[in-house]
Amino acid sequence: MSNNQLILTDVTKRFGGLTAVDALSFKVESGQIYGIIGPNGAGKTTVFNCITGIYKSEEGSVNWRGEEIRGMTPYQIVDRGIVRTFQTIRLFSQMSVAENIMSGRHIRSSQKLWHGIFYTPGSKRDELDNWHKVEEQLDFFNLGEFAATPVGSLPYGIQRRIEMARAMAVDPTLLILDEPAAGLNDNETLGLLETIFKIRDKGVTVLLIEHDMDMVMEVTDYLTVINFGKKIAEGTPAEIQKDPAVIEAYLGSEDDDDE
Amino acid sequence: MKEMQKFGYPIFFAVMAVLPHLLDDRWQAVAITFLIFTVVALSQDIILGKCGMFNMGQALFFGMGAYTTAILNNEFGWSIIATIPLAILIPAIFGALLAGPIVHLRGDYLLVVTIGFNIVFVQVLQNNLGGVTGGPNGIFGLDSLSFLGFDLMSQVAVYYFAFIVLLLTLWLMRNLAGSKTGRAMHYLREDQLAAESIGINTRIYKIFAFSIGAGIAGLAGTVFATQYSAVSPEAFEFIQSVLFFSIVLIGGSSVPGILLGVFVMFVLPEIFREFATWRYLIFGFAMIAAMILRPRGIVPATFGKIPKFLIKGGSHVE
Ligand SMILES: Nc1ncnc2c1ncn2[C@@H]1O[C@H](COP(=O)(O)OP(=O)(O)OP(=O)(O)O)[C@@H](O)[C@H]1O
Ligand SMILES: [Mg+2]
Repeated sequence: MSNNQLILTDVTKRFGGLTAVDALSFKVESGQIYGIIGPNGAGKTTVFNCITGIYKSEEGSVNWRGEEIRGMTPYQIVDRGIVRTFQTIRLFSQMSVAENIMSGRHIRSSQKLWHGIFYTPGSKRDELDNWHKVEEQLDFFNLGEFAATPVGSLPYGIQRRIEMARAMAVDPTLLILDEPAAGLNDNETLGLLETIFKIRDKGVTVLLIEHDMDMVMEVTDYLTVINFGKKIAEGTPAEIQKDPAVIEAYLGSEDDDDE
Repeated sequence: MKEMQKFGYPIFFAVMAVLPHLLDDRWQAVAITFLIFTVVALSQDIILGKCGMFNMGQALFFGMGAYTTAILNNEFGWSIIATIPLAILIPAIFGALLAGPIVHLRGDYLLVVTIGFNIVFVQVLQNNLGGVTGGPNGIFGLDSLSFLGFDLMSQVAVYYFAFIVLLLTLWLMRNLAGSKTGRAMHYLREDQLAAESIGINTRIYKIFAFSIGAGIAGLAGTVFATQYSAVSPEAFEFIQSVLFFSIVLIGGSSVPGILLGVFVMFVLPEIFREFATWRYLIFGFAMIAAMILRPRGIVPATFGKIPKFLIKGGSHVE
């Protein structure tokens, strides 16, 4: 059995009277590029927050590799190989690109708290090894020239890449991307597609939210469509494109998305 | 900035190393105060500057170290040097214990709680708890420094004691900056949610920051007790905490910024003694001006260093 499955069962998350996610179930298989789509306010980001421990869903189960992760803290979930990016970029904006990516090495580093007071040969080696891992990500995401630049001063498209590099530095098993193409121009989007395929080829499962329909159809293997927190369809991109409920709820409402 | 680090520090250390021989008694005492308060301000910087936690009670830990030394020396006859481990450990443990229940609080709430701690601490000292703190008068007549059987009575000896403590603190802070622990503190200060989402248990690092900040302040307290051969509650009032807080905020979370801040707050008033009551007015305005003109401090934090091999052509470093 492929053990890297993420299985959501009847996940429900309410904010006061609003049910943002309503008994949602889906299953992400190992090695997939899995898409979640839906209109604005459908509850997509909330689902991601429930998976990554930012919110705890009131009901249902989030099962990862056979373990219940609902109710765990974000860092415990990262420790189990699930890492995310944010819809609105959240980087450490005053710090350099390299330091930002280094944060992804935090849980992989063997340094103890007290190594912050004095070093040992082991902690020095660990430090250097992790900076080399950062270098790999800088190369992979083509960010080498910005290594020492504070991220806050860089353009949006590059910041998106840094956020992915930071997540990849964790060596995740499941990478969760919340609208990775938002705010990117066509060229950058093309580059992003290529990057996502390369990440999958490294054996990382990818779960993403996307608004750009063209991109979703091109990149994902399988999709779940949600509206008002409920699943309205699931299937391969080809199936989804033909689904009347989806056309009604999502494509129909978005008149000018195609170009 | 680069130039300053390359030449500034060696020059600074060289000057500080010979300084007491150039000064008379009164100015030696001012120089010692400068060193001690710099150490406390640096300890506050770990909590406030690096982690962004609004701790308004740093004088508590400073005082706890000073009283530990004073009590152990006065009541139990320990030599000053022998009190050092406990003068670090007791505040460090208290720092962790006090921080535990409060580090999740938002900035303004944390600030109020730490003020409360500081006030309670001073009240405890004044009410002579356990009969060992000496009440409002404090404890006086401590032994002078002695080490390996040598009596180090002179003020110059105290100066070098303070100087060694400062060097130790700077060394520790440099180590912190180049470690996983120190970086975690920067990350959580910049964006706590992002830090947790990348795998950092922020709570642990906040408590740890309080603990080492308290330990260093405690060590500074030992030097302070040694300088005056005495301790008394008013030296650790909450208003002192306000000064340490302001120094880090105004100087900026950087060593040059903090040195400058301590100089302005504690040394300049000595130089302009004639102006007596006027000086705080002037500093009040200087503080206001500094915060408006340079909201991130006079010498803002530059974050941890990255290794040279990562800096390729085209990178622009400040
Ligand atoms: N912290 C919160 N408190 C209250 N309501 C919230 C909160 N977060 C989200 N919501 C609400 O839950 C619903 C789903 O929001 P969510 O951000 O998950 O949508 P989304 O599908 O990601 O939308 P978008 O495409 O705009 O990103 C919305 O109605 C939103 O207003
Ligand atoms: Mg969203």
